[in-house]
Amino acid sequence: MLRYVALKVGRALFVVWAAFTVTFVLLFVLPANPVDLLFDPAEINAIPDEVKAQVAANYGFNKPVVLQYLDRFGHAVIGDFGNSVQSGKPVTRAILDVLPSTLVLASGALVLAVLIAFGIALVATATRRPWLRNLVEALPSGAVSVPVFLSGILVLQIFSFRLGWFPSFGDDGVRSLILPLITLAVPVAGPIAQLLVRSFGTELHSGYVTTSWAKGATRGSILVRDVFRNASLPALTIAGVTFGNLIAGSVITETVFARQGIGRMTQTAINTLDVPLVAGIVVLVAASFALINLVVDLICPVLDPRLRATLTTGGTA
Amino acid sequence: MSELRNSIESAESHRRRWPWIAGAATLAVLLAAGIGFAVTRGGSGAEAADNGEPVRGGTLQFALIDYQRSPDPHWGTNYAESLIGNNVTDKLTWQDPDTGEITPWLAESWQYNTDLTEFTFHLRKDVTFSDGTPFNAAAVKANFDQYVRGDQKLGINPNGAVLLPGYIETTTPDEYTAVVRFAKPLASFLQASSFTANAQPGFLSPATLKLSDKERTDPTKVIGTGPFVYESWEEQVKTVLVKRKGYNWAPPSLQHQGEAYLDRVVLNTIPEASVRTGSLASGTIDATLDVGTTDEKPLADQGFKIISRSVSGTAIYFNFNSQLFPTDDIAVRKAIQLGWDRSAIEKTVLTDSYSIATSVLNKSVQGYVDYSGSVLKHDPEQAKSLLDNAGWKPGADGIRVKDGKRLQVKLLGISNLVVNKPAYESVQQDLQKIGVDLQLTVVPIPDYAAQVAKAKTDWNVTAANRSRNDPAALNLVYNPKLGNSSFLTQGASTGIDVTEVTAALDNLETTLDATKRAAYAKTAQDLLVEKYALVNPIYNPSQVIAHADYVHGIVFDAQSRNHFVNAWKSNGK
Repeated sequence: MLRYVALKVGRALFVVWAAFTVTFVLLFVLPANPVDLLFDPAEINAIPDEVKAQVAANYGFNKPVVLQYLDRFGHAVIGDFGNSVQSGKPVTRAILDVLPSTLVLASGALVLAVLIAFGIALVATATRRPWLRNLVEALPSGAVSVPVFLSGILVLQIFSFRLGWFPSFGDDGVRSLILPLITLAVPVAGPIAQLLVRSFGTELHSGYVTTSWAKGATRGSILVRDVFRNASLPALTIAGVTFGNLIAGSVITETVFARQGIGRMTQTAINTLDVPLVAGIVVLVAASFALINLVVDLICPVLDPRLRATLTTGGTA
Repeated sequence: MSELRNSIESAESHRRRWPWIAGAATLAVLLAAGIGFAVTRGGSGAEAADNGEPVRGGTLQFALIDYQRSPDPHWGTNYAESLIGNNVTDKLTWQDPDTGEITPWLAESWQYNTDLTEFTFHLRKDVTFSDGTPFNAAAVKANFDQYVRGDQKLGINPNGAVLLPGYIETTTPDEYTAVVRFAKPLASFLQASSFTANAQPGFLSPATLKLSDKERTDPTKVIGTGPFVYESWEEQVKTVLVKRKGYNWAPPSLQHQGEAYLDRVVLNTIPEASVRTGSLASGTIDATLDVGTTDEKPLADQGFKIISRSVSGTAIYFNFNSQLFPTDDIAVRKAIQLGWDRSAIEKTVLTDSYSIATSVLNKSVQGYVDYSGSVLKHDPEQAKSLLDNAGWKPGADGIRVKDGKRLQVKLLGISNLVVNKPAYESVQQDLQKIGVDLQLTVVPIPDYAAQVAKAKTDWNVTAANRSRNDPAALNLVYNPKLGNSSFLTQGASTGIDVTEVTAALDNLETTLDATKRAAYAKTAQDLLVEKYALVNPIYNPSQVIAHADYVHGIVFDAQSRNHFVNAWKSNGK
């Protein structure tokens, strides 16, 4: 058991380190020079070399790459990613400043997405009308196919510009959260719903359900009492994918609704080759990914007795 | 097993009413939304009387595409940053956007020596920073020193080094006299003292100058003398400015007395074009910058006012690489100038807010000369004969060939302005007809910046523009000792007298006599546009604002940045 945990934790740490390193390499392989991007693009040719050198020195870009890497890595280990090239803010503060709005958006969207997904799965499984089942089963793939960009603009057009129910941009309390929430939740709900529809279907045809039928249980109570619990577990295993969808979706949602957040910050940080900021964000995202997968790995055996059994036999063998 | 299940299932009693309830609920929600959608909100007719007399008070909700990455106005590479900097700081001088004349602002008067290496400014005595510190010669010195040299310990970059090349020092003979000295003649410094675009020389309180880049991210510590002061700054979201109490030193030529009319200005960052226009149409915001060409007419039809100003400085230009085949051939360069139809771009790409370039300089820059009658016109026949005479023969695919090499011209451009790509594509189509294959690579700024480094060997044309309302912009862009955007090297640039071009450009910095300077500007343009055809100017970009009819007095300055000191709303809300 201890070996299992150590293995999983070690793997998580490796993922975070690899993400940091790969980002660093990628940003240095890119042909653009982050110093150039601090000036007007039409001016780049006219900047005297000594000015460029002075600016490069301000950010430590003048040191050998290996040294820069070791320096940044050493500091990153203790949580210091340096200052953002673009704003001068410490990276940790820049991230912490916007993290709450992304967390609120992402967790709200996640809750909503899970509700939608379960709704779809329950309706698809519960109904006995084939046309309704087909319709509902088509929803998840539909949800994934509509670009967040488009659905965001669409809900804005209707609920904000036409009806004026919600503000169209910014970050002022609950009212400005609703449209982004819906926009982000829909594509995130897709894969979860797809998985749930499938596992609800499988569980509904398993032996213990037949037994329940035989005992006279109603369809509703079977779904809620037996199927629901067993079919939900697989959804946990795609928690990592869901997290990825949330992050990807938040980049666009935050841009369309002009909200501050990690997604939008990532986009601008990459566009401006803000090396320290990109490194900080990548490590944050990689660490979250690793942590989520780690928690899932550790929790699944607790929730699922079958997994626990394999683990114990595997461990003693 | 499944048969057994099915038989049990079909025996089950009908108690499945909840899907229907859920279905009905969904339907009801959809219906409600539909009805609401149909009942579009009526126009807001309530409008205060508008007799042209400025009304004090109110908040202007303004939208733009960019956001301010730091409240420090000394550095900035985007429009939001320079625009906000202009409203929290003041400059020594104010350039009249209509005449280009340099007029007093924080400096009441000035002199310069005949060499144009020493500029003496006599400052207003009643100006204070919003922290109460007086604005004086010492403040000018502290600002310029840090602006040009940076401060490594504080993490401040030498933001002004490009604007003020050769800056030696500022001396302060008395409390309200500042003398700025340069190593070599710098006629353009007078205009630079009014500069309002990116990385501008706005004056910050000595207390602010002592802060590190980190500390300057607290907007309340960034103190200027401007008509507005920072209230808050939310990166990526908005910057809120409030009126500076007791402000009474707007540029005299603006004829504005006392404080700003508005109580507050909220600058909202809205990256999506449709959200900006939608928010304006629905009344959430009062005005928006960055109006797309396709949005101008619909907004005007809805009763919004469209105001704009052409960006002063150079036009959007194609700078030819004078060393790289095939643009090392002057016939090719001249043929490209003549080979494209201006009116097609005017009709299909541009709106009335924009204009076709008639010189490398914008009309508003002093010394501008019109070349639309001579070389900057559409004359495909002349273009073809130029190419014929230079030995370029039509090839199998319609593209001309010389010594077995195709006439293909590689262009590197920036996609930051929406008009760029369609305009370039229009040129591309026209050039195809005269047998020139113009290959477009129009990319975002970081990719452009990366490629520009290799422009000398890889690109025939770089397309960009430079925003500065002074003919010395040409010196900065083309002088072989500075930007050298046409890659002029004596010998390597065939058929070009590089010393002649260099001398003509150098001259621009040697006089402030209007007549002489205009003559120098003409010589420089003649060489660049006509004699050596080093540049093919395309169009003059514009900054376009759409605002509600109750908004008045938004000023476009000489660099087409906005000032809100004069702005007011008829409803005063």
